[in-house]
Amino acid sequence: MERILKKFFELTANPYGSLAEWKEKNKKKVIGCYPMQLPEEIIHAAGMLPVIIWRSNEPVTMGHAHIAPFNCGLTRSFVDDAVKGKLSFLDGVVFYRMCLQAQSLPFIIERNACPSYMEYLYLPALYPGASIRDYLIEEFERLKKSLEEFGGQEITVQSLNRSISVYNRNRRLLAEVYALRREKPGLIKGREMQAIVNSSMLMPKEEHNRLLEELIPELKKRSPADQKVRVVIYGGLCQTVQPEVLDLIESLGMVIVDDDMYVGSRYFANEVEASEKPVESLANRYLKKLPPCPTKGDWETDWTDYVIEIVKRNKAQGVITMLVKFCPPHLCYYPDLKRKFAEHGIPEVLIELEHEVISLEQTRTRLQSFIEIIGGV
Amino acid sequence: MEYKLNRLKTTSLIGPMVDKHWEGLRLAKQKGEKVAWCSGPLFIFPYAMNMKCHFMAGYAAYCGGRNQADRLLEIAEDDGDLPDTCSYHRLHMGMAAAVEKGIPVKEEVILPIPDLMISGRLCPEMSHYAEGLYRKMGIRVVGVDAAPPHREEDMLPMERFFERQIKENLIPALEEVCGRPFDYDRMSEILAVLKKTAELRNECWEYFKKTPSPWTLWDYGVSIAPVFYLMGNPETIPYYEKLKAELAERAEQNVGAVEPEKYRLYWDGWLPWGFLGKFIRKMAPFGAVPLVGRYPWEFFPHPERIEPYPDPVRTFVKQVYSDGGLARANLPALALPEICKWIETYSIDGLIMFSSKTCRMWNMGHPDTIDEIERRYGIPGVVIEADMVDSRMLSEAQIDTRLSALFEMIETRKKARKR
Ligand code: SF4
Ligand code: SF4
Repeated sequence: MERILKKFFELTANPYGSLAEWKEKNKKKVIGCYPMQLPEEIIHAAGMLPVIIWRSNEPVTMGHAHIAPFNCGLTRSFVDDAVKGKLSFLDGVVFYRMCLQAQSLPFIIERNACPSYMEYLYLPALYPGASIRDYLIEEFERLKKSLEEFGGQEITVQSLNRSISVYNRNRRLLAEVYALRREKPGLIKGREMQAIVNSSMLMPKEEHNRLLEELIPELKKRSPADQKVRVVIYGGLCQTVQPEVLDLIESLGMVIVDDDMYVGSRYFANEVEASEKPVESLANRYLKKLPPCPTKGDWETDWTDYVIEIVKRNKAQGVITMLVKFCPPHLCYYPDLKRKFAEHGIPEVLIELEHEVISLEQTRTRLQSFIEIIGGV
Repeated sequence: MEYKLNRLKTTSLIGPMVDKHWEGLRLAKQKGEKVAWCSGPLFIFPYAMNMKCHFMAGYAAYCGGRNQADRLLEIAEDDGDLPDTCSYHRLHMGMAAAVEKGIPVKEEVILPIPDLMISGRLCPEMSHYAEGLYRKMGIRVVGVDAAPPHREEDMLPMERFFERQIKENLIPALEEVCGRPFDYDRMSEILAVLKKTAELRNECWEYFKKTPSPWTLWDYGVSIAPVFYLMGNPETIPYYEKLKAELAERAEQNVGAVEPEKYRLYWDGWLPWGFLGKFIRKMAPFGAVPLVGRYPWEFFPHPERIEPYPDPVRTFVKQVYSDGGLARANLPALALPEICKWIETYSIDGLIMFSSKTCRMWNMGHPDTIDEIERRYGIPGVVIEADMVDSRMLSEAQIDTRLSALFEMIETRKKARKR
């Protein structure tokens, strides 16, 4: 178990080396996908390795010359990595429009990193009407065609369904890990859980599946830490949380029972149905309104209700907002989330996640008063 | 340096027209008229149904121009908004909170609660504002996704998608709210007035080519409503006729808007609606005059291509995408060739990239655009980081330093060219 967790930690701490090595060994193309909704299965079926773009551990330096400081950490860090040449092992990048940062980013990447393959999808908002679904399918078909041209390999119904099944398996296994944590809070540390999900984004799913199959029985043998104050974390759109913040939450006497985070339960939510029209099945997954994603333009489904449901289901005593600094979709939603949590008597605390300077002292103070409020220690 | 800032007489006529528009909106409910709020370029559709309609960015510019932005932003923050959020979004949330909680604000910035909110998702935040207001007030929303393309080849599929959403979603929603069929004839009439006004506007644009230029981008900025959210209003035609006559007179007498004119500038991004006076007073002493800008220039219309009859929806859709500039103005990749064209047409000496801290539509890609223009034309540029309406995000010192740096660079380049 420790060996597998160590592998996950190493990969997530330094994906550059591992991915370059993997590529060299397997002679396959690696394609970076901008989070959070791209159909990775299509890239997988094209015989390439899709990886989700990550936030580096370094502060932005050279990237400053290309992107303003008031953009989210993931975007700035990606630009920084690109201009530093750290991403040269990526054969291509696929973006889509879900926020303004992602909308304008390809111009900078194209000018400064020139990946051999670059695709940009205009995935629509979840507005009602048949035109949305049709256009979405057109966009997925366009991606499929361009990958076939780039990779010189046809993506058949069979190959796409095979990829879908590998991805579904991964979703099921990750869901199993989550169920374990829900059952025995404290069984898996916050930073471990994040590495488990994040590593799935950065390695072939087949390998991740094998590792999870080994890991799950081992995890079951663990005994959870003492029962503590149960909290749910949510938010963290697109990016990982500094593991130190997760450690801090736990060191202050809280236990994360569940989450609604992208590098968390959102990543593996909703399986894709195998069918004669797999592209349409992938579109159906995108069109799902749950978990609610604030980037998808769905005004009817209330994200707060969804988080409250998680809180109640897990008998959590409070909720921690992980808000990525300068992330508009979450920023625009936050006042309503906060208000509704209060209306439901659910204590909430806001942690703003900055890429470079994360003032742990300030975070500690906030979390300390939070735990006092929720009556923990 | 001794300088003179010559204000145009005609632009003083805009204030009353704009006030009348917002007043009409404010009083609409009392008169039993239907009201819409709109983000993105779709307000022509409620206009065609004789509805009164707000326009998200126009409202923000109006609040900025009336010095009411800071007050509304303060209310929004008291109501839970965080300052990094798009300030246009915050302005609306502030206004909604003021109405909801009876917080006193100037009457002129109050808007009536609409019968329909049109979420034209040109930028994802335009959707977030409608989503937020829906959650706050439960107002009916209709969404039209309207992404700007990165490449020319994406234009037509997107245009088709845009048109389909208008026909299948927006028009039926308006018909339902108003209880009658969509008025295509009225839409054509609006477009016919717009075409005439925009033709005159284009004739006015010709005067930007003159040295010294008889008017500035700021003058055009305040004159933009007639070719935008005042479209279809018959008063817009005489406004531009008067403006054209005044510009012709100035050109005849060789009168510049800024005298002496020394540096001709391109301005990228939103106009700083809350601070137009402040910026021009900082530029004019250097003889610097902003002449052309991506936002006010390339947002539709392109009158030469407007065909009000027989299919107003088609021509409108093309104005936004393949025939117009809106779809080309938003993303740096397609905007770059346009910027190059303007540099040549208007003999530009330098670029100011106005990087809005809370609007990531207009801050991404600025350094790379400067770099590219510098490479192609040897013209320098600077980035000014601020906000279009939030005064706390404006640093006088930064503006001064960046402007001085720009003018020094222009001088150095000019000297080098002479040698
Ligand atoms: S974290 Fe937020 S701002 Fe950044 S890319 Fe994701 S959605 Fe956009
Ligand atoms: S982010 Fe910019 S373009 Fe989008 S709504 Fe706000 S001000 Fe407008």
